[in-house]
Amino acid sequence: MRSVNREDGPVKVTGAARYAADHHPEGLAYGYLITSTVARGTILGMDTAPAERAPGVIAVYTPFNPLRLHPYTQADTAELLPPLQDDRVCYYGQVIGLVVAETFEQARDAAALVTTRYDAERPRASFTAGLPNATPPSGGTPETDVLAPGVTSIDEALAASDVSITETYTTPAETHVAMEPHATVASWTGDRLTVHTASQGVRLPVERLTESLGIDAAQIHVINPYVGGGFGNKWGTWAHTPLTAAAARALGRPVKTVLTREQVFTVIGHRPITSQTVSLGAAADGTLVAVKNDGISSKSAANDFYESVADLSLALYGSANLHVSRKVVTMDVPATTIMRAPAESNGSFALESAMDELADALGMDPLDLRLKNDTPSHPVSGLPWSSKHLEECYRVGAERFGWSRRSPRPGTVTDGDWLVGLGMATATFGASRGEASIEVRLRDDGRAVVSGAAADLGTGQSTVFAILAAEVLGIPVDRVTPVLGDSATPPAAKAGGSGSTSANGPAVRLAAEAAKEAVVKLAAEHEKSPFRGEAVTYADGEVRGGGDAMPFGELLALLGVPEVEVTATSPRHPRREHAFRSFGAHFCEVRVNRWTGEPRVARWLCVVDAGTIVNVKTARSQIAGGVVMGIGQALLEDLRIEPDTGRFGNATMADYLVPVNTDIPPIDVEFLNYPDTVLSDLGARGIGELSIVGAAGAVANAVHNATGRRVRDLPITLDKLL
Amino acid sequence: MRAFDFAVPHDIDDALGLARDESAFLAGGTTLVDLMKLEVVSPEQVIDINRLPLHGIRPEPDGLRVGALERMEDVARHPAVAGPYPVIAQALLASASPQLRNMASIGGNLLQRTRCGYFRDVATPCNKRSPGTGCPAQHGDNRGHAILGTSASCAATHPSDLAVALVALEASVRLRGADGERTMPLADFYLPPGDTPHVENRLRPGELITEVIVPPLPWAGRSRYVKVRDRQSYEFALASAAVAVDLHDGEVRDARVAVGGVGTVPWRLPAVEDALRAGRSHEEAAALAAAGARPLAGNAFKVTLVQRAILRALTELAGPR
Repeated sequence: MRSVNREDGPVKVTGAARYAADHHPEGLAYGYLITSTVARGTILGMDTAPAERAPGVIAVYTPFNPLRLHPYTQADTAELLPPLQDDRVCYYGQVIGLVVAETFEQARDAAALVTTRYDAERPRASFTAGLPNATPPSGGTPETDVLAPGVTSIDEALAASDVSITETYTTPAETHVAMEPHATVASWTGDRLTVHTASQGVRLPVERLTESLGIDAAQIHVINPYVGGGFGNKWGTWAHTPLTAAAARALGRPVKTVLTREQVFTVIGHRPITSQTVSLGAAADGTLVAVKNDGISSKSAANDFYESVADLSLALYGSANLHVSRKVVTMDVPATTIMRAPAESNGSFALESAMDELADALGMDPLDLRLKNDTPSHPVSGLPWSSKHLEECYRVGAERFGWSRRSPRPGTVTDGDWLVGLGMATATFGASRGEASIEVRLRDDGRAVVSGAAADLGTGQSTVFAILAAEVLGIPVDRVTPVLGDSATPPAAKAGGSGSTSANGPAVRLAAEAAKEAVVKLAAEHEKSPFRGEAVTYADGEVRGGGDAMPFGELLALLGVPEVEVTATSPRHPRREHAFRSFGAHFCEVRVNRWTGEPRVARWLCVVDAGTIVNVKTARSQIAGGVVMGIGQALLEDLRIEPDTGRFGNATMADYLVPVNTDIPPIDVEFLNYPDTVLSDLGARGIGELSIVGAAGAVANAVHNATGRRVRDLPITLDKLL
Repeated sequence: MRAFDFAVPHDIDDALGLARDESAFLAGGTTLVDLMKLEVVSPEQVIDINRLPLHGIRPEPDGLRVGALERMEDVARHPAVAGPYPVIAQALLASASPQLRNMASIGGNLLQRTRCGYFRDVATPCNKRSPGTGCPAQHGDNRGHAILGTSASCAATHPSDLAVALVALEASVRLRGADGERTMPLADFYLPPGDTPHVENRLRPGELITEVIVPPLPWAGRSRYVKVRDRQSYEFALASAAVAVDLHDGEVRDARVAVGGVGTVPWRLPAVEDALRAGRSHEEAAALAAAGARPLAGNAFKVTLVQRAILRALTELAGPR
């Protein structure tokens, strides 16, 4: 496997990389958002006069002095309505105003002078209180059943099982806390708009700005090559983006709006709260005969996103009988949105905990139970997996981690004042290959420029572009310049659904092949070409023919052709004959203090079956990063909603806990690296989300092994272990 | 942040002369600047005291003397602290991050404001920030709040780890104002909230902490600061215990015990100390820790946790008993 340094590493560590907020066009003014301090109600009035008189203030926009934005028409994972277009408040922390001033500080200080009067209503802010009134999602499928011949219901199958368990598992709201807060810089030149905005795909803000500003996509240029983490929160285009663009248009000068850390918690969406009641039924030998999961997700009144949290129970283990249901609890809280491995991460916590509980009930090793129910085909569709080596993940992991040393009796292994437990769980995430277009330009300086409107959120995607193009073109990686995050380049795959490399990788290779053909054709046909009329070939960055060879850059310079440009499109995979999924196995050791109950993760191993690994260096970081986020999900993260007010009780970086370095043990990552040649010639399936799935379940299982306590409500904090 | 005047005096009398009712002294700035940005405090004048001669870490016959402008990290690493008073060094090193400890002063640490989320969010009521507006923590988000020394007006914890260790060691603070100098035990310096949670201590307007004095305690070498929190670093305590024991032949002859993360002020536990002196078991002694506790909906676990923190410290210092 190749291990290549990030092509953008030097500019990032030296600070030369310009993120959205680092742009300062001439004449820039600064926007600062005003947010609501009630969760539901009507705004009666806003006194903006003191703010308007404050030093440096240029404009104060509110629902009573709005910037006109057209309704959103296209689906997005952000809100349904554009900001400031009416006086309704749907959640605490909603954008209700924008102050624009000559400096950021002036805008911020003026915003603090605005007072707002509300007719406040009691918000629906308790998920628990809303559970009895949970409803099937509008437009979704409420239930899915797969039953063996002669079986009339899932409960009948459960009742007929030798052994069964039923438990309810709950997960709190979580938020992404990416390192880079959201920012938008908008400037107009005539009727053309240039935008720098943090985004997981620059064509997404183009779509939203087109509809909300009432202009053509051709008038909008979004440029955002560097993204400081996303995890789903930069997929949707949020309120500040159209607002900032509209303010810049109204004021005739560029405007920049950067969200504060606190604003990111509410102006941007969060991962929904979920509850899953899982029943597993098995034969005495561990063969699953019934899997039932009734899943409920919170959903914001401000948008339609929820997690189909139970659905993973249909895809992971084989069972003759399967049942899943989906319901939502609508709440007056900020938008619910996608967050790393939406549905599957929470879904796996319940399923993987339940598998451990079933193993206990069966008196089986939990790893043996998983081996027993590994399935070569999708449990619902029956389609064979394109490439699945999960059993090898389990076996390699167990050997490498020392799983055989796990005590089957919980609470029996101690080290000083620490109770020690081992846990494991399956990692998995769905895979696909979307359509992607990539442009390759071979230049007369011997460099290749590879462009597409993809995004590198810190994942290493731009380095993947360089590696794959360099390989096809036969030139060193450092002679390839990847260009990502520019809406003027061809429509490559956005960074979402772990689908960047699986879609863009084949497209880069196609485009690079096409570029080779183009330069060969040029060499054979151009009137000034020394190869004219020869049988021309291309190898190792050179054009060859008639016994001569010349690097492509020299040839182009000789011919006076500055560059050869080609674009190629790799089509979407139809997925008709196979099912596609990545797999892996987590193993961890957790220690719990016998006095004060703190759970601490001491060791981690993740064995990964995700197809071809293009760059093991960045891939390892992706997997380790997912494990870190999974440890946070397991032990720390909990975005608390005040039931009376709908306010987030801990919406600051000090109070919303994510792991720090000392919380993270050495993380061992092993890639099996079997190409998935059914998905593409490249064989890469994608790894962005895989390793957070199963991580919380592995921790919960290790905590149980250490202490004998089964915590079914995330996060597993010390108060639950005292 | 509101506009303010800024002054940089070079000696103490100048600093005290400049101070007005609406002044704030700036040392490390790690609390003050945050709170000014949040508009929790909006002083009309900020007086930078970093050039004042309030330095020095000196063991003297009447105890260890630490200048108020000494930085947390320097104090924690000083041999006159780490050897004779491990509980102080451990409390400091369990606080904040190295970057913050390199900035934050000892005087400022003792005066840092609570981390209560309502206090720090000006969109919400708070009796400590805006007297008479109410205390949403009583029925709101209160997992991190105090169980000891609370009132219906306020349940905010005192956030300093250092103060817990110093109260256990019966340290004093030296104060200097325009009217002169005075010295006061740190335990008397802090005020429980009662009906006036905005009055947190006995510091008078314009008065400075100039020095911390830790009296000699020969057996403080056997001391420990146990800090319990959800993550292993960079978080305030859910519960903490500063414990020192005088151990003879495995028996605890004397002890000092104070706890943090659970009280509205650093909380000395004389009843626990008495029980240990009387030869009661660790468990029996620790069980007295939460006497009089008034837990709220989200923090009842602290009643148990604070006892366990003490037990853990005692076990580490004196073995199981």
